[in-house]
Amino acid sequence: MPRGKADGQRAYVLHTRPYRETSLLVEVFSRDYGRVALLARGARRPRSALRGLLMGFQPLELSWSGKGEVLNLIKAEWQGGQPLLMGLPLFCGYYLNELLLRLLPREDPHPFLFERYAQILLHLGQSPRHQVAEADLRCFERALLGDLGYGLRLDRDWQGAAIDPGAAYRYEMERGPVGLEAGEAGGWIISGQTLLDMARDDYSRPVSRSEAKQLMRRLLAYYLDGVELESRKLFKEFQEL
Amino acid sequence: MTPSALEGLIQALRCLPGVGPKSAQRMAYHLLQHDRKGALQLVAALNNALEGVRHCQRCNTFSEQDICDRCSSPKRDASLLCIVETPVDMNMMEQTLAYQGLYYVLMGRVSPLDGMGPRQLGLEKLMERVLDGVVKEVVLATNYTNEGEATAHYLSTLLAEKGIRVSRLARGVPVGGELEFVDPGTLAQAFRERRTVDE
Repeated sequence: MPRGKADGQRAYVLHTRPYRETSLLVEVFSRDYGRVALLARGARRPRSALRGLLMGFQPLELSWSGKGEVLNLIKAEWQGGQPLLMGLPLFCGYYLNELLLRLLPREDPHPFLFERYAQILLHLGQSPRHQVAEADLRCFERALLGDLGYGLRLDRDWQGAAIDPGAAYRYEMERGPVGLEAGEAGGWIISGQTLLDMARDDYSRPVSRSEAKQLMRRLLAYYLDGVELESRKLFKEFQEL
Repeated sequence: MTPSALEGLIQALRCLPGVGPKSAQRMAYHLLQHDRKGALQLVAALNNALEGVRHCQRCNTFSEQDICDRCSSPKRDASLLCIVETPVDMNMMEQTLAYQGLYYVLMGRVSPLDGMGPRQLGLEKLMERVLDGVVKEVVLATNYTNEGEATAHYLSTLLAEKGIRVSRLARGVPVGGELEFVDPGTLAQAFRERRTVDE
């Protein structure tokens, strides 16, 4: 596929920034080209056909062409079927977008992750306004890390032995679960059952939800190299208000 | 070579939106060559505005008094408070002639990916304004963009806790709108948010 040209490519807007007087710089996540930076000329003019269309969390079909790092958006079409995100699910959506913007390199196709993202957005669109969709966030984080090549080791420990649901482990970066020695205490531990639940994307147990959240937070902090996510900072501020 | 004062003027004019190096140069030459009087007026007007204009203590919009005319008008219904993102949005609401209450202008919106949160927006000032004991209903008129929606969610959660009635502008098919020409996104949402017709 020539990189500078796409026609009717399924994509979602991740973020937009004003550019010059009437244009927009748009970061999109497309199915076959991954994350792409596009320039939407005149998109901020009052009567622009693109106005209101280049909105995050909505499935679009985009066409673009050009050379260089930023390509020219030629056409955008609304696909539909995705309810608008409102309330806390909207903040969850921002979190997904920020993870993609920070961790996904430009123009690296991730069709599997794209489909997962679309599914999760759909689910977020149907979630209650006052609930954080924890399970959706965990599923996405796992899919993202897996697709980037940082896949989690969840059903076997670091030596290859099957995970024992009744045992306790500690998760070591780039190594996986390490069984705790008898009497070994302290630090941060995760139960075998949680690891197995995560492997099945099953977050129905509250214990699994909270342990998985901690594990993911530590893993992401590692891969984000200390960068603090704006969406999470804001969410914390919100809870404190 | 261009004199440095002229160069300085050109540079200064470029701070205006939509003014690039070419237009800035044209403006500078025009002011110096054809309209020195206009240039002096511009200087005076800028100075005046910079010194005189501040934020209204009650509605946060631009005003020359501590409290703007609208906020001090007895004809306004002080139990209604409409929250908008910008002064332009407030002007639009005023043009409708449908609203007789007061306003609060946020001068921005919550934008999680740009690090724009409730702190940066100065929501403390807004809360103080809402809790003056007179306001009974807050009308959220932030934009129907994701950022406007995020802002509305913040505000509604905060205000609901304080026992204030919160409403949000309705959205849907525009007045005089023919379904054939309405964009599908709007139509889809109008369907999802459809109302029972009361007799």
